[in-house]
Amino acid sequence: MIAPGIKRGTAELAVLSVLEDEPLHGYEMARRIAEQTHGALRFTLASLYPLLYKLEKRGWVCGSWETSQTGRRRRCYRLTTEGRKKLAPIRQEWAELFRALKRLTKVSHA
Amino acid sequence: MHDWEALVRERVAGISLEPEELREVIAELAGHLEETFEQFRRQGVTEVDAVERTLSQVKSWQSLSRKIQIARCQENIMTNRVRQVWLPGFLMLFLSLILLMVIQFIGPKPLFVSIQGWRMTAPVAVIYVPWLLSLLLVGAMGAYLASRAGASRRATLLSIMFPVLPYSVFFVIWIPVSLILDDHVGHNTMFSALLMGLVAWVVLPGVALLAGGLPVQILKSRRRASGQAARA
Repeated sequence: MIAPGIKRGTAELAVLSVLEDEPLHGYEMARRIAEQTHGALRFTLASLYPLLYKLEKRGWVCGSWETSQTGRRRRCYRLTTEGRKKLAPIRQEWAELFRALKRLTKVSHA
Repeated sequence: MHDWEALVRERVAGISLEPEELREVIAELAGHLEETFEQFRRQGVTEVDAVERTLSQVKSWQSLSRKIQIARCQENIMTNRVRQVWLPGFLMLFLSLILLMVIQFIGPKPLFVSIQGWRMTAPVAVIYVPWLLSLLLVGAMGAYLASRAGASRRATLLSIMFPVLPYSVFFVIWIPVSLILDDHVGHNTMFSALLMGLVAWVVLPGVALLAGGLPVQILKSRRRASGQAARA
């Protein structure tokens, strides 16, 4: 399990990355993050929505209400152009951090 | 069938957001809880356990409410302050200075008022009557811009009075401090000069700004109140 402090730092990257391919609503976003990280990163309602609202305020994601085929109204978030621009340097920073940690700790699969 | 919206509404009652915004937040959180619950049910979890596990996603609703409030409002507070106070305030200050310069160059001669009536002995206050009249319009514009941006009564008053703030600082802080620090100032004449300056550059312009701004502020707040009543 990854410690909450480390998870907190990766949260923005996780959300922006999962939105890169297609717009998603909050529940689906959390589900995909858990699935793609094999459960290492899990977002609960309490951790996801304050972050989504913060990213929306910054203009990195944009939410809009959509009605699904089952008639359920959900707020879907899509990555904005600004969010897409921000994703690249954040990814770069994390990649650098992983490389540095790998060198430091000599962990073979960091 | 669980009423997730009612549950969320009850638990996030402390969030201070616009009603429409709050409704959206409640609907969104309730939707998330509903889907989580349904997923647990599909996995064969009993209803009671599913509810419990769904609700365990939020350890403290109070903390969640606070985080949502901060996330949704923090930047609003900043931008609102800029739109409601600083922008109209500085705009009106700039406009009042331009008007004063124009009036000094091409306007009629100012009134010279001495503390001893019309006998021109120092100290003398210089009063630009056309400028004071133009401040009626400046005050009205300040009130209009601040009210349009949704400013509170206090913020609107601050925007209206903003053009006299530099003069107030000058007469209320700068000159008294200079008097204390500088031995070469003639203290006997300074008090009356200070008084004259205050009247000419703070009190009269302040009254003119308020006379122009307050009716607009009252009109706008009445319109806003009647609009809200109509929506309710």
